Amino acid sequence: MKLEGVAAFLTGGASGLGAATARVLAEAGAIVALLDRDMVLAEPLARELGGIAVKCDVADHDSLKAAVQQACAAIGPPRIAVNFAGIDVSRKIASRSQGPHPIESMQREININVIGTLDGCALFAEQMMNLDPFEDGERGVLINIASGAAFNGPPGQAAYAASKRAVAGATLPLARDLAPYGIRVMTIAPGFFKTPLASSVDDKHIDKLIAMVPFPKRWGDPREIGELVKHICQNRMLNGETIQIDGAMR
Amino acid sequence: MKIHGLSALVTGGASGIGAGVARVLARAGAKVAILDRNAELAQATAAAVGGIAIACDVANDASVQQAVAAAQAAQGAARILVNCAGIDTARKIASRKTGAHPIGPMQRVIDVNLVGTLSCCAHASYAMLDLAPLDADGERGVLINIASVAAFNAPNGQSVYAASKAGVVGATLPMARDLARYGIRVMTIAPGLFDTPLAGTMDDAMTGQVLRQVLFPKRKGKPDEIGALVQHICENQMLNASTIRIDAGLF
Repeated sequence: MKLEGVAAFLTGGASGLGAATARVLAEAGAIVALLDRDMVLAEPLARELGGIAVKCDVADHDSLKAAVQQACAAIGPPRIAVNFAGIDVSRKIASRSQGPHPIESMQREININVIGTLDGCALFAEQMMNLDPFEDGERGVLINIASGAAFNGPPGQAAYAASKRAVAGATLPLARDLAPYGIRVMTIAPGFFKTPLASSVDDKHIDKLIAMVPFPKRWGDPREIGELVKHICQNRMLNGETIQIDGAMR
Repeated sequence: MKIHGLSALVTGGASGIGAGVARVLARAGAKVAILDRNAELAQATAAAVGGIAIACDVANDASVQQAVAAAQAAQGAARILVNCAGIDTARKIASRKTGAHPIGPMQRVIDVNLVGTLSCCAHASYAMLDLAPLDADGERGVLINIASVAAFNAPNGQSVYAASKAGVVGATLPMARDLARYGIRVMTIAPGLFDTPLAGTMDDAMTGQVLRQVLFPKRKGKPDEIGALVQHICENQMLNASTIRIDAGLF
């Protein structure tokens, strides 16, 4: 689809991969809605990009539903929706020193990363399916963010990896559900990118992580995710697939 | 990498997906060399996109080596290789009516699709190893292979073709690991049903059957859509060692 003038909703759009993607899409002419918990970050970015900021907790159905309605009222229903909102609780499933992984943080991680993404797809698709079709009958595209951990998770990431593998796993049935409406569904599985989420890792660990990346030997630039999102929007034959973008870190 | 001004090799570039890739890369400013068995068609396509044509049988290692050298002499060492050369044989591995799959076509499909792809990767990447890096990250080049969704989910009669394409998918990660130290990336694209001479050998009933399984859009892909993905892969440096299905959801 052409990005000029279309509405793009981004959960977790205030920072990290979401913010960089919002910038790339806005530069390509899309009107962006940043759905985020953090209005301190979302509002100035939305102003800069000529879009809107809407407060939203993706793990709370009522909050997400209200945010979608508010964004639709402001800039129209989305043609593009990208589910970036996610958290990472690094903790081993059980260890002598820390005991079993507490259920609360496990549940929270699954609720945000999995249910938040699925609920986002449901509510965004509901808005897309009544729009006028573009070329080939295309109405919209949903893009979800998984992680390299979905396929190759390090220790301490059982819950995170499970949540991200779930997102990857949902891609095909989501695409099947929505194909009759001309809505595509794609997933991106990023490796090691320079985001606030990754910055919580300490410096020594970061050097070790970068040493594991075959090429290029650096953090990914969040804009590179933005460019991939843009390409997915523009290339209609991409549907039902998960793309790993990780500098060959497997 | 920035494509403009770089030298690119496209095997099987005379027709089908290869011609689409050649067209898009040339439009982005690459100096394109079309390596193809069909010299006449290669000339015509090269003329249309403003590139050069080199006769090459990818199943012949010496032919590949010569073609890579000839392209380098004509327009500089290639930074981009796209392996589109491929053939198909539709035949069951064994049936009462047609007997056992004959070894001749079996060997030929593997030689062209799998060994040919590896041979092109070997010669083209070897020619890249000592080139000056293109940027501060040390990138020297990118190899892009065209596999097929048949690598993951093939209909009956495609066991040999599927094996050849699955072989290409399987080689992607170790090749990326082999070449990472030189700043060379390796990616594979697995197309579904595209509007190409290869797909044209399928009859209408078979084409209709495949399109019924396609999720959206319900049409054959256009070779230029593969070209656009190739261009994006060249430009997006974090893409390495992955195989990307582009099939409108054909499972």
